[in-house]
Amino acid sequence: MKKIQVILCSVVAFVLLCSHDMFIKFDNYFLQPNTQAVLQLFNGTFEKSDNVIDRNRMTDVSLVGSGNRTAVDSTQWFEKDDITFLNFKTGNEGTWVAGLSTAARDIELTAEDFNKYLKSDGVLEILDKRKASKTLNENAVEKYSKHVKAIFQVGNKKTNDYNVNLGYPIEFIPLQNPYNIHPGHNLEVKLLYKGKPLSNHYVYVGKATNSDNKAETHSHDNGEEHSHSHDTSESSEHVHPKTEQFKTNEYGVVSVNINEQGIWYLRTIKMVEVQDENLTHESNWATLTFAIGESHGDEHSHNADDHSHDTEDHVHGEGTHTHDGESDEHEHEDGGFPSYIFWIASIVILALLFFLFNRKK
Amino acid sequence: MFQNPKKNILAVLLLFPTILLAHDVSSGDQVILNNGGLLSYVWVGAKHMLTGYDHLLFLAGVIFFIDGFKDIIKFITVFTIGHSITLIGGTFLEIQVNEYLIDAIIALSVLYKGFENLKGFEKIFKIKAPNLLAMVLIFGLIHGLGLSTRLQSFDMGEEQILLKILSFNMGVELGQIAALVPIIFLISKWKEKSSYKAFYKASNTYLIIAGIVLFMYQIYLYSK
Repeated sequence: MKKIQVILCSVVAFVLLCSHDMFIKFDNYFLQPNTQAVLQLFNGTFEKSDNVIDRNRMTDVSLVGSGNRTAVDSTQWFEKDDITFLNFKTGNEGTWVAGLSTAARDIELTAEDFNKYLKSDGVLEILDKRKASKTLNENAVEKYSKHVKAIFQVGNKKTNDYNVNLGYPIEFIPLQNPYNIHPGHNLEVKLLYKGKPLSNHYVYVGKATNSDNKAETHSHDNGEEHSHSHDTSESSEHVHPKTEQFKTNEYGVVSVNINEQGIWYLRTIKMVEVQDENLTHESNWATLTFAIGESHGDEHSHNADDHSHDTEDHVHGEGTHTHDGESDEHEHEDGGFPSYIFWIASIVILALLFFLFNRKK
Repeated sequence: MFQNPKKNILAVLLLFPTILLAHDVSSGDQVILNNGGLLSYVWVGAKHMLTGYDHLLFLAGVIFFIDGFKDIIKFITVFTIGHSITLIGGTFLEIQVNEYLIDAIIALSVLYKGFENLKGFEKIFKIKAPNLLAMVLIFGLIHGLGLSTRLQSFDMGEEQILLKILSFNMGVELGQIAALVPIIFLISKWKEKSSYKAFYKASNTYLIIAGIVLFMYQIYLYSK
């Protein structure tokens, strides 16, 4: 009887857990100051959310901007088509961070499903350990929680809030402001686990760029169980956006070569074995999303009226959203007219005044 | 050299090649800062000072008022102390002010200097102008906050923060010297000429106009 229970739980658990990364996403990561905006919480893959997140699972939902961290009003959340949405009003110009942390839950998995999930989600250290200790056939009871962040840009002004430490058990902290990064440059991101740099740890980096959007428009609606390989060499079997595998260095930092504009994400899972009569493992999941513009011209307007959140808009994930270069262009340069105009006008005025006063004398 | 007005204007253009550069301390500088170490902060600080017309206009206004190398050193030192305090302190303590509002106040300092040089306080308000040294210190503190706001808009990373701020400040001082040398040279040379009075009036009237225009422009940007 207990065996049947484990199998049943495992089937449910596999569907619930496998590749159920959590991401905070926006239709547009470049927002206007003091306007209504919508944040999306995906629980599934980066492309498709498979289920919504209950409010009582959210232990922290924060928006950070202008040096202030504010808790989000839980009444502003709503759900549609397996996606959880949050209506909020943007604040002053600056680089903002949205963060969400969930309470831990337990999950029972058969040995086979657990191994499959470790492989598909890139928790390779634990898989290797199980191989080495010849425990691949042992079932698992895992306690897991998710801690996700997104960085978005409000207006043109770049501020330092991008590197805020929200104090989550595991957390990505960029060392540069992504909105100051252009394609062709590297973005360094530090991974903190329990507040300390996590070295020599697998991190997976993916992106949803224009080319990806065109090439990868498959649907997940067939309901087929699928595992995700994070090995780029196997990407031909799979039509998800490719993820690239990185390992943090001794300082817990990964350096990502930002080679295209678009939406980028990092994901990782830190799992440890635990000595507990009810648990075998504990994991903390982290993701970070942000956008890279080519040149940062700010031609965006993004308010609630600009978006409809019907099924068509979202079921295919990034494929149906336009993140082309034009719409994502952001001007890095200071606002205002070029200073040579100022100086030419100044010299003309000065010359006129000089001739005027010189004639009067 | 300065007897012909046309030559005078030409001299202004020749002596101020840097002022024709754009005031573009921005993403290109972020790349420089990301890749260049502390020296890049010196460079960006100097560049900001050399292309920051509001700082230069205020300094030009100060120099118009004073005579003698000693006094020039005294006033510039006070201005430097003022802006260094708020630049270093403000950045290190992460004191953030609205960039448009602080630039608007800096524009008012330009207007103030032109108005004072034309004896506006005496002629219009029938009062003595406030102590210039004290005003230069106060405006130095304000200009420093503007510089600090600019520096804080860059991503400075997490390491060597104080050294980076000091390097940027050093760059500001070097840029200031580079800008002041031609300004002092031009004004002191022109003082010997008969057209100096017209030049003085024209320049300070221009400072008032520039101060008003820059102020209105910053307020427009702030309210946008």
